[in-house]
Amino acid sequence: MSVRREIFIDGRGAALEFDESRFTFDDVERVYSIAPLTTGSFSVLIGERSYEAVVNGREIIVDGRSFNVDVFDPREMRGRKSADADQGRANIAAMMPGKVVRVLVAEGDEVEAGQGLIVVEAMKMQNEMKAPKAGRVIEMKSREGATVAAGEILLVIE
Amino acid sequence: MLRKVLVANRGEIAVRIVRALREAGISSVAVYSDADRASLAVKMADEAVHIGPAPSSESYLRIDKIIDAAKRTGADAVHPGYGFLSENAEFAEACASAGIIFIGPPASAIRMMGSKTSARQVAIAAGAPVVPGTEEALRDPDRAREIAKKLGYPVLLKAAAGGGGKGMRRVDREQDLEAALRDASSEALRAFRNDEVYVEKLVVEPRHIEIQVLGDQHGHMIHLGERECSIQRRHQKVIEECPSPVMLAHPELREKMGEAALKVARAAGYANAGTMEFLVDRDRNFYFLEMNTRLQVEHPVTELATGIDLVQWQLRIAAGEKLTLQQSDITWTGSAIECRVYAEDPANQFLPSPGKITYLEQPSGPGIRLDSGVYQGWTVPLDYDPMLAKLAVWAPTRELAIERSRRALREYIVAGIRTNVAWFDQILDHLDFRSGALSTAFLDRFEAKPRESDPEAEAVAALVAAITSAKPERPQEVCKSSAWRDAGRAEMMRS
Repeated sequence: MSVRREIFIDGRGAALEFDESRFTFDDVERVYSIAPLTTGSFSVLIGERSYEAVVNGREIIVDGRSFNVDVFDPREMRGRKSADADQGRANIAAMMPGKVVRVLVAEGDEVEAGQGLIVVEAMKMQNEMKAPKAGRVIEMKSREGATVAAGEILLVIE
Repeated sequence: MLRKVLVANRGEIAVRIVRALREAGISSVAVYSDADRASLAVKMADEAVHIGPAPSSESYLRIDKIIDAAKRTGADAVHPGYGFLSENAEFAEACASAGIIFIGPPASAIRMMGSKTSARQVAIAAGAPVVPGTEEALRDPDRAREIAKKLGYPVLLKAAAGGGGKGMRRVDREQDLEAALRDASSEALRAFRNDEVYVEKLVVEPRHIEIQVLGDQHGHMIHLGERECSIQRRHQKVIEECPSPVMLAHPELREKMGEAALKVARAAGYANAGTMEFLVDRDRNFYFLEMNTRLQVEHPVTELATGIDLVQWQLRIAAGEKLTLQQSDITWTGSAIECRVYAEDPANQFLPSPGKITYLEQPSGPGIRLDSGVYQGWTVPLDYDPMLAKLAVWAPTRELAIERSRRALREYIVAGIRTNVAWFDQILDHLDFRSGALSTAFLDRFEAKPRESDPEAEAVAALVAAITSAKPERPQEVCKSSAWRDAGRAEMMRS
């Protein structure tokens, strides 16, 4: 008996079907074996070819190559993808973890495309986030001195 | 003989020095900021003293706190490592007046060689070649034209008070000189409130080659040959090697540069370990650039090629021992290459990537020397520079050292943060790198190839993601395979 999953690998969708010794991905069937090594790492044999895979959240590292993989159960997929349709909005998210060292705009400010919005610093390097389009700052979620995670939304432009 | 040494640094270099101390039978004291309480250096040292909050201005750069920690623990010497206070003459003096040995050169030598302009004067007086140019301010365009013509184009205009590329202009043709001079002075005036600009010959696509010197306090000094550090990104070295490919083909250049380095070091009254940096042009002319009055980050490649432990000699020299090595004792065997592993993302403009290392596998095996300051579970702080480790390898030839480095990089797996580990493989595999045709412009032209797709690796990633994201009870329902079940269990334990 096999299991079916929808896979999004580095943004590309594909179907995966697998049982305990075989799997089909991109219409190619392969024979495999998997053995856990230490926590979060696996030895995978495809036929007799040996791979090492490390799992770090949605990032899977295979022999040093990193892939971002999302897995969905097709039975749970109905209705997905309607959530983030907000065309007019732009979430400005931190590109790296760090500290907010300067906030260059305030809520309500009109900004032009390319205008500097906020500066995040980590490891002696500063990263200025710029407006991807013209609009108005409708929400400022961060302040100077705040510690932010990569991907954290700092402000919203509409 | 030293009994106890305080290590006034952090990260991999603190670990390197603690290891040397243990091998020498000397007690070690680490210092740490709030961000480094759980660091490898603190764990490995015999004692550890808290010196303040994370920002280095309030901890690792605080002379008073470090002297206080040394006094409190009864350390008889301080090793400054590199960076932080290592080239701070005031710190060397503060150690001396507290009766603590500073493991490095005399404060006077740090002062003399610390500024580029005064180091240049020392080098000129000692008869070492420097990049031809003038230190007189150039205001008169006619005078500037005259000098530039004598030097030969291209020339470089540089702000006298400069730094960071401000007030700097490359000029390729005489007709561009006047405008460039005007621009450079006004930029210098704005940046440094000093419009003085001088002119220098531009060394086109130079190699960056440095000479390691080692001298005792009794007037005996030798050099340990070169390190080639031409592979730089934004003036930051990323790969270093010993010997330089140039020296492999032209061993007489090592002698000439070694002699020049020793002349300058002697003129500065230097003792302990130090490094003279040179630019080398295509015709193998070399020009003194500056001196680093401390242990270099890339010292392991010299140690691997010469078999001499620089840190052990630093300790013995600081304790007043004589350097028993003669110049003729120094030989270079095989080839050593070092890659600096940074927490940064090559796929995303090399932005820093601090954070928790969720998984770490480190290379080992023949010829591998890994000087690392991290472990699995360590959170790389965002307060300091992003270097995690130095992967140095040694092999009998340069070709084998390249292959060994690539093998080791493949074994090196870091998850949770981004690193430049995989990026090195492409540089090492580049035709120009392999042929030894290096220059400081190498990385300006180098473009990482978009990675080739690998359908097999992709299939493995998809499979592993699907298996590990399965709810643990579900795979057991549908399948009795033990490996599969174990995978599900491992996933459960992971979270």
